[in-house]
Amino acid sequence: MTCTLGEVKQRADFIVYWGGNPAECHPRHFTKYTIMQKSKFLPRGRKDRTMVLVDIRETKSAKAADIFMQVKPGKDFELITILRALIKHQHVGDDQIAETGVTREMLDDLVQRMKSCKFGCFFFGMGLSMTRGKHMNSAALLTLAAEMNAFTKFVAMPMRGHGNVTGADVIMRWQTGYPFGITFNRGYPRYNPGEFSTVDVLVRGDCDAAFIIGADPGATMPQPAIDHLKRIPTICLDPHITHTSKLARVHITTAAQGISAPGTAYRMDELPLPLKPALKSPYPTDEDVVRRINKAISEKPFWLPEGSQPQMITAQV
Amino acid sequence: MTINLHLKQAPSVPLEAEVLSPNVMAELSNSEIRALVVYHGKRQVPLEEFFDVDGERSYELIIHGELNKVRLIGRAMSRGTVTVHGSVGMHLGALMTGGRIEVHGDASDWIGAEMKNGFIHVHGNAGGQIGAAYRGALAGMKNGTIIVDGSAGLEVGMRMRRGTIILGGPAKDFTGLQMKGGTIILQSGAEIRTGAWMNRGTIISMKPLQMMPTFAYASDFNPTFTNVYAKQLKPHGIDLPFAGSDGTYQRFAGDLSVPGKGEILVWQPA
Repeated sequence: MTCTLGEVKQRADFIVYWGGNPAECHPRHFTKYTIMQKSKFLPRGRKDRTMVLVDIRETKSAKAADIFMQVKPGKDFELITILRALIKHQHVGDDQIAETGVTREMLDDLVQRMKSCKFGCFFFGMGLSMTRGKHMNSAALLTLAAEMNAFTKFVAMPMRGHGNVTGADVIMRWQTGYPFGITFNRGYPRYNPGEFSTVDVLVRGDCDAAFIIGADPGATMPQPAIDHLKRIPTICLDPHITHTSKLARVHITTAAQGISAPGTAYRMDELPLPLKPALKSPYPTDEDVVRRINKAISEKPFWLPEGSQPQMITAQV
Repeated sequence: MTINLHLKQAPSVPLEAEVLSPNVMAELSNSEIRALVVYHGKRQVPLEEFFDVDGERSYELIIHGELNKVRLIGRAMSRGTVTVHGSVGMHLGALMTGGRIEVHGDASDWIGAEMKNGFIHVHGNAGGQIGAAYRGALAGMKNGTIIVDGSAGLEVGMRMRRGTIILGGPAKDFTGLQMKGGTIILQSGAEIRTGAWMNRGTIISMKPLQMMPTFAYASDFNPTFTNVYAKQLKPHGIDLPFAGSDGTYQRFAGDLSVPGKGEILVWQPA
């Protein structure tokens, strides 16, 4: 249930930002893609569009919004679940609605607007996906978007943060079938977030080496994960000295992508954009380094005994 | 005759040992058991590198040691028993179709995930996703019983279709998430979002719960099935109240967002 930002720009007449602050975190999002642009289908631009902001506090983005809904912290999942019930004409009590910090009138109005728009779009940020409930909060909004398609066209899209995180997901997906949380230890990809996702592996101390490219877990991950990174040999590839490189055994400085190294970056709507370097860097690119490491590894003996193959875990049932 | 396994050294990375199952070992001699392949990370090693093995050709397995990083024990087993003295890692008894597993210690996530039948008793605490469906699967456990004396983590009984889960200690968020059937008994209650998105099935709590807003209060009553359950659970040392003189169950119906026909019964002592 997603689309490109081009479609949003051309068609979306109803836009919801949930748990994000695009005015400060994605400052060009409004003007380039969502609310300010005029198009064939929305000739009056901003006047033809409705924007709703749902957040726990009144951020700068609230000024740009037609409707601001202040949800109580940690009640996003409840609010979305109420909305799922309301679009199906299920009765939810006033007291239960009040617990989420909004009123019945606001929700009735929102549901009416959601159902009567031509093309609705949810954008959700870290305020939704990184608070209590985590993936289930995102799942709730995605399910709501899916269910809204019984009435009108609706899509949902995450507001991605740093540079090219979408790219990592996209590449993993077409290479393995899964976007993240993958293990290859049996010779084929297996997916289980919570078991094989980076932060959980590090917190439990399940790995005995770490290879980090263009990320800074030393600054963002919980303390047990950082402690484990300090214990094990950590190799870090980054154009800058980061918190991770300070705790890593090896730091390899690489050329900055898009500035001195070519490549492809993925926009948050999974649109690939070619990058042309403007400058020359004395440092090798990430690709060069990984290829050289790969070559050195391929010269080592195969890790399995002669003639054997990794065994699949068969279902046996 | 039993097969006794003692963990020699704690694995440094997860040890995937789906061969630790009565189905695999029942017909094997001692030397064949020692040579069974386990995965230490990506490396294949013989079982004897990590375990001392006593006994052969038996459906009864007794495993000793801190097996925190040993995963997939009793996976897809259909008969026999596995007894663990110590803690166990993830996926204990996942996909099992019969037999018994008893753990005298703590267990981790995904115990009894997608199990079809059988019995698991954990005397310590357990992790999350007990009896749950794996990511992307539509249904979790389809039958069988899981008893955990201690606490449990997130998403207990996620998408379970049938079967019974009994928790002695408190559970974390999302207990009975997207449940499609079966019963979860919470003797010490749970944190928030219990029964979220449930379709069918029953959650019985002995302690007051913070309800999802999409659950509606129905009535106070003493359902007749609780005394049948109480009789079944008595041999396991679990006391499920049912008599009207002791109290009543508050029934909440939901989840309205699905809209589902699940029920949450909250015990109210008289």
